[in-house]
Amino acid sequence: MASKAELDNFYEQAKGAVESASDLRALDQVRVEFLGKKGQITSVLKTLGQLPADERKLVGQAANEVRRRLEGAISAKQTELSRADVEERLATEAVDITLPGRRTAHGSQHLISQVIKEITGIFIGLGYRVAEGPEVEIDYFNFKALNQPPDHPARSLQDTFYIKKESVHPADDDILLRTHTSPVQIRVMKEQEPPVYIIAPGKAFRRDVPDPSHLPMFHQVEGLAVDEGITFGDLKGTLEAFTKQMFGKKRKIRLRPHFFPFTEPSAEVDVSCAVCDGKGCRLCGSGWLEILGAGMVDPNVLMEVGYDPEKVSGFAFGMGVERIALLMHGVPDLRMFIENDMRFVKQF
Amino acid sequence: MLVPLSWLKEYIDFELSVDELVDQLNLSGTAVESVRFMGKGLDYVRIGQLLEVEPHPDADKLSVTKVDIGQAEPLQIVCGAKNIKPGDKVPVALVGATLPNGIEIKAAKLRGVTSRGMLCSQIELRLGTDAAGIYILPEDVEVGALFTEALGLDDVVVDLEITPNRPDCLAMIGVAREVRAITGNELRKPAVSVKEGTGKAEDAATIVIDDLELCPRYAARIIKGVKVGPSPAWMEQRLQKAGMRPINNIVDITNLVMLETGQPLHAFDLKTLKEGKIIVRRAKPGEKITTLDGVERELDRNMLVIADSDVPVALAGVMGGAETEVTDATVDILLESAYFEPDSIMRTARKMGLLSEASARFEKGVDPNGAVYAADRAAQLIAEYAGGEVLAGVIDVYPEKIEPRTLQLRTDRVNGILGTTLSLPEITDILEKLELKVSVIDGTDNMSVSVPTFRPDLEREIDLIEEVARIFGYNNIESTLPESSGKQGGLSHRQKTVESIKARLLASGLSEIITYSLIDPREVDKLQVPEGDPLRWFVKLMNPLSEELSVLRTTLLVNLLKVLKYNVNREQYDVQVFEVGHIFWHENGKEMPDEEAMLGIALTGAWQADEWHEKARNIDFFDLKGAVEAVLDEIGVTGWSLRQFAHPVLHPGKSAELLIGDEPIGYFGELHPDVLAAFDMPTAYVGELNMDKLIDNAIVSRELIEIPKHPAITLDIAVLVADTVAQEKLIELIEAEGKPLLEQAKLFDLYTGKGVPDGKKSMAYTMVFRASERTLTDEETLDARDRIIARLNKELGAEIRM
Repeated sequence: MASKAELDNFYEQAKGAVESASDLRALDQVRVEFLGKKGQITSVLKTLGQLPADERKLVGQAANEVRRRLEGAISAKQTELSRADVEERLATEAVDITLPGRRTAHGSQHLISQVIKEITGIFIGLGYRVAEGPEVEIDYFNFKALNQPPDHPARSLQDTFYIKKESVHPADDDILLRTHTSPVQIRVMKEQEPPVYIIAPGKAFRRDVPDPSHLPMFHQVEGLAVDEGITFGDLKGTLEAFTKQMFGKKRKIRLRPHFFPFTEPSAEVDVSCAVCDGKGCRLCGSGWLEILGAGMVDPNVLMEVGYDPEKVSGFAFGMGVERIALLMHGVPDLRMFIENDMRFVKQF
Repeated sequence: MLVPLSWLKEYIDFELSVDELVDQLNLSGTAVESVRFMGKGLDYVRIGQLLEVEPHPDADKLSVTKVDIGQAEPLQIVCGAKNIKPGDKVPVALVGATLPNGIEIKAAKLRGVTSRGMLCSQIELRLGTDAAGIYILPEDVEVGALFTEALGLDDVVVDLEITPNRPDCLAMIGVAREVRAITGNELRKPAVSVKEGTGKAEDAATIVIDDLELCPRYAARIIKGVKVGPSPAWMEQRLQKAGMRPINNIVDITNLVMLETGQPLHAFDLKTLKEGKIIVRRAKPGEKITTLDGVERELDRNMLVIADSDVPVALAGVMGGAETEVTDATVDILLESAYFEPDSIMRTARKMGLLSEASARFEKGVDPNGAVYAADRAAQLIAEYAGGEVLAGVIDVYPEKIEPRTLQLRTDRVNGILGTTLSLPEITDILEKLELKVSVIDGTDNMSVSVPTFRPDLEREIDLIEEVARIFGYNNIESTLPESSGKQGGLSHRQKTVESIKARLLASGLSEIITYSLIDPREVDKLQVPEGDPLRWFVKLMNPLSEELSVLRTTLLVNLLKVLKYNVNREQYDVQVFEVGHIFWHENGKEMPDEEAMLGIALTGAWQADEWHEKARNIDFFDLKGAVEAVLDEIGVTGWSLRQFAHPVLHPGKSAELLIGDEPIGYFGELHPDVLAAFDMPTAYVGELNMDKLIDNAIVSRELIEIPKHPAITLDIAVLVADTVAQEKLIELIEAEGKPLLEQAKLFDLYTGKGVPDGKKSMAYTMVFRASERTLTDEETLDARDRIIARLNKELGAEIRM
């Protein structure tokens, strides 16, 4: 027979079992034992009918109260145990985060290509198209059309690679490896009317024995703008825009008069040294680093391609990519660009 | 061009510091290569006079000297040079000196004899190139004086890079004129007055120009009774500072005046000229001359010579002859001051390999109207420093005077080209500072500019605009950007395609390399390429640097393999690279070589070294094929296929030719063992594809393929087939039979070995079925699978393996 006292005792007993349940399974057993269909509280409730009516109500209420409290205790214990469970799982799943990450193999673009891409990218932004031309050229495009006099030393066998003529009736014009990317200018202008805004990256060849500061093959980027009313001021502004993007906003440029056969007026262009900010240091000496040659397209060149120098004018510039790469990345020896040592290539 | 500032200051004053001068010269077009402060490192060098020179008691090659350096006691110095004798004045480096070459002078015992200092050669003082002996100084220097003061070395020498268009700046006066344009200060040209004797020059010699085209002017002065000897110290110092070696007073004066005015002069010993005759003519076939450098040279019709009545006595404008050279015995002199046609001098000098100070000036163009001034200036100095009598008159053959050129210059053209707003007076002012004569054309803003003959480079209006620009200052011109609607920046389809191929290969783990377009033809032998193969249609250089770089590459393979080898030799065993570059070939009978862009790939080693989660795997044929497939996929090439490729470079069983449609695009595969052996490589996988053909087949833009709305059913099958059956056959049949429900089929397992009979292989495929407008039923999918199995069995004898 159930009594209030018995119920209280039962509750204490059950609560003790809940408290001591060590995991969710044990807790569930406790629940079944005390609250299940065949559980103890159910048997108490089943005997209610045998009690007198007044007592029946009291005991019934008490039994329900015990059940409610017990359910609350189990539920609280359940929450507690599941948290412990999650935490245990997290603890066992932990990894050594200092192990190296899994990576897929990756390739590196050659530094020279990267620099060319950067330079052309800047000029594309300024409205230039990219033009290309052959590495094997004829004298006409490489020298003559560029106003280079016939006896100019650059044309000598000492400085320019010439191709052996193999055909039975060789043409008059010499065939050679282009000594700069400037012949692309001529090819483009001969093909189209102004306006012309092009940038021409590519390989060029000079008959230099490879050493730390010379290579028989190197890369140049040539630029050309021909349009109505192009001025020397436009050349300066364009080169300033380029320099600031390429070398940084604080860089200044300086133009020094120079002589090139295909431009007039001509200039050599220096950028202020990033290390000393133009004050002079061990890298630059004077505070300035020479980066390119430039000038207004010579009227003879414009006439050669059939443009009227009284109607259009233009500027051209050319820079050595290896030199720029060397200045930007501290490469001590130009030959590193052509050796393709993976320990070099993969650094950039 | 070495310019001692002390010398420059004879012609112009300037208040600029050395740094400022260097800057201003640089920014106005006269590039300064270097600046040398002469006295540096010479503080402890004094003038000494040798009192005694005795042999060293214990060393044959050494002498023991006593040197007076103006102190109470002479110094004892041991010396190894042989060219000294008592009485000579020499530079003495005292104990404590650190010479320009870094040598520190200390008191020392040499073979037991104490030595307190060092007698110096020119090279030790960095004054010249003469290392042969001790520098014997002129007699008039003061014993005990500081060496730098006595020799006027308290000087700064700037080295100027003179561009080929500016021969006028190969002269002190020319450089001074540039300084004048910078500073506006006055230019002082030395006034010349020659004291002439009674005899007439015309009577002492005759001059005939045979070829007026090559020699428009020949002027000469005759000086009789000179005494050849050393030049005064100041003159020697000047020449040395300007980089020339003093010879004797006559030669030194010709050099001095050349450096001053830019006009090369030559002194002949008049008595050695037969009949006192100068004939300027072309050399006759077979004629020879021994030049001043002692070399006998054969002459030809294209060379201009100075001859006497009989034989050539000088190579005009390039070098004098040994026979007529001024020597200590010379008494009478014919002093030549001529103008030769520049191109002819350049050709002769190049052909002879003789680049002299004179030819360097003549070939760029000297001032034809400055010849007599220079001759007079030299004659005056000779009379002053070598004695003798200058005969009356200049013999001057100059039948057609070369007149100053007149050019038009428009103010609006100046501003139109430069982007400036210069006024006419501003332009005039700049030009006049350069000694150009400007007259304004009435009623216009245009000028007529008379260009002096010392500026042969100013031929056109644009040349004058450049002068205005450089003196106005490039850096004073305002920066602008072209304002044009004609600018449309961007890459072409071709360029974008190349970029995306490169990007895909980089992302696939290959690195880009760049190699020479030139190769060694012997490397092609290593590729086992047969005779007559297109890879041997070499484009050869006429003037290669070496055999290693003597022909243009006919294939990218050679350099790719060399790069693999280079890295393997340096313990970099895992190398995966590609190159995009041109190949070249010479087709028989064609004039111009052909040139085409190629993509080359080379792989060796493993993609990655052993990792804690994965072991390294050596690259094989299918890694190479995967890279090629990635490229094709990247640029959207469809309709490609492979076929067996027979070429001696590649392993016949592990190589393939790539075709798009029917067109061969390239090949790839494992290198043939013979080629591997020739390159001494363990293994390598290479490929070469024609870039232009790839680009021709690249997709221009992709259109969206609709994303399926209905679910798919995936089924796997495994079949046993004979191991000679190509995988491609199976997939073709599966795809053909599975249509239209089969969306995709893919090989996911290939197995031979235990459980599979010999001569068979097990191939497992995963197949995805889908209908685009409805949900598939299991029945129709299984039905499709069964049809596929039946077809495989029928055509290939495939047995289903469950």
